[in-house]
Amino acid sequence: MNGQLVLRTEGLEKRFGGIVAASGVSIAVRERELRCIIGPNGAGKSTLFSLLCGIYRPDSGRIVFKDRDVTSLPAFRRVQMGLGLTFQTNRAFHALSVRQNLAIPSRLQVAASSQAAVDRYQYALKLFDLDPASEAPARQLPHHKLQWLEILMVLAAGPDVLLLDEPTAGMSPDETLQTARVLQSLNGQGLTIVVVEHDISFVREVAQVVTVLHQGRIFVEGSVGEITANADVRQIYLGRA
Amino acid sequence: MSRLIALINGDEDLGRSVWFWLAAALVVLGFALLPLWESEFGAYNISFYLLNIPLALGLCMLWGYCGVLSFGQVAYFGVAAYVYGIIAGNMIGNNWGPIVASLGGLLACAVVGTVFGYFVFYARVQAWIVPILTLVFTLLLETFLGQTAGYQWRVGIVQLGGYNGMTAIPPFQIGSHMFMGYSFFYYALIVVLACYLGCRMLVNSQRGKTMLAIREDDLRAELLGYDIRRHQLVVFVLAAMLAGVSGLLYVQWGNYITPTQVGLLQAALPVVWVAVGGRERLLAVLISTFALNWFNYKLATQGNQYAPVYMGALLVIVMLFFPRGIIVTVAEFFRGRRWKAT
Repeated sequence: MNGQLVLRTEGLEKRFGGIVAASGVSIAVRERELRCIIGPNGAGKSTLFSLLCGIYRPDSGRIVFKDRDVTSLPAFRRVQMGLGLTFQTNRAFHALSVRQNLAIPSRLQVAASSQAAVDRYQYALKLFDLDPASEAPARQLPHHKLQWLEILMVLAAGPDVLLLDEPTAGMSPDETLQTARVLQSLNGQGLTIVVVEHDISFVREVAQVVTVLHQGRIFVEGSVGEITANADVRQIYLGRA
Repeated sequence: MSRLIALINGDEDLGRSVWFWLAAALVVLGFALLPLWESEFGAYNISFYLLNIPLALGLCMLWGYCGVLSFGQVAYFGVAAYVYGIIAGNMIGNNWGPIVASLGGLLACAVVGTVFGYFVFYARVQAWIVPILTLVFTLLLETFLGQTAGYQWRVGIVQLGGYNGMTAIPPFQIGSHMFMGYSFFYYALIVVLACYLGCRMLVNSQRGKTMLAIREDDLRAELLGYDIRRHQLVVFVLAAMLAGVSGLLYVQWGNYITPTQVGLLQAALPVVWVAVGGRERLLAVLISTFALNWFNYKLATQGNQYAPVYMGALLVIVMLFFPRGIIVTVAEFFRGRRWKAT
């Protein structure tokens, strides 16, 4: 089921003053993989995403995307190469209409991206039940639809690899489950997905591989069963009791 | 053709109904028939109310649509005006001199705007610093031009003239026809309408949507694959050239320019015109710029010294009670009522 390596990092280091946000982080994501990244607050999950998509430059280490060293590439170039990211706090354009939100990403990328990416967008649009012609400002949407809108915006840009930073935060269990189902289907249609998530039921539902981050380092990596059974993982989540 | 209509009648500006276009056509017709209801001197005055509109439309796109506030639009106004004066003054007697000089003025705006904008946007200067940088640029230009008195400050046969400014600048001319009086009015009207329709098509295009995305959240826009630096630079240069159009019209209208035109007071006025109408809509800015220039001119010609005070008070009132601008607020109110009615 696993394909070629599509996104990998080698020894990423990032410090903010005295705080080590990433230390020796080396991960390797394969095509068509659905991976969850978990870890306690401050473990460096969002920093890792910011490094992957180019918001931050690492102090040292390398990022390789589709066999190309993208470490010094600006964020928009990585997006044009097929990387997509949603933020931890929702950053759809709240003042603009749903229609505008979905029209904004759909230019250069869709023309360049594969038919599969276009199909995935159309499919997600249907499942997330959003009217792409709606003139209502995005801020009027309920929270879970706003989260879905941002995922759709990113999908409209036609990525092959999707990075989602806590997509189900604040959602009800039903909405979380629905999100999980859609992401699984998209994954089944060839989309590589990496999700930062706290909700362990969501992780159980979707993850094929789980990476645990702790204090900026990779703590352990494995299947959902291995991770949930791991006593050390329980300990870092629950404290050293 | 239908694509063209979609661009002109898109939803990023006010006025999309048949009634709006009928009213707009009537207004334009009224202006076109101006000689029937206004003297040549009146036409000369009305030309003045029109000529700042391109500058204001440029600032509207830059600030209202793209989120970059500039206090430096008058610098490009001045650059175009001075360059026009220098070239046209040196080509005096040549029927095509004013056209060459106009193109030269616009080119100068594009070059200066590109260099300045490149350093601002490619250095990813934070948004709140841009107004300060642009204001400083304007004041530097004013200071420089102010000390150009004296015979050594001349280009060819044209003297820059220090604080007395540059005088006897040739009017606009195509072939042997000089644009003055009514014909200057028509020329200004056509230029303003062309600028407006061009801007309107731009904001309704995909590039216009990208501008909105950058205004709302530049990082989110970049992470949808847009090179926001390049987009901001393009709009900045465009706004500089639109300010240059106004500068050209101004010297072709009044035949003189002084450094005061790029001074502190003039630098603040475009922000007032744009904010009072509503910076998120081109049409609102077009109307408010015309109206406020009319108001300002009436006060000034009656010898009233308080015009800047009124402008400042107006800005404060609008910011407090109509933060989105008077015309935009009114338009939204009527649109809201129509929605409720249906």
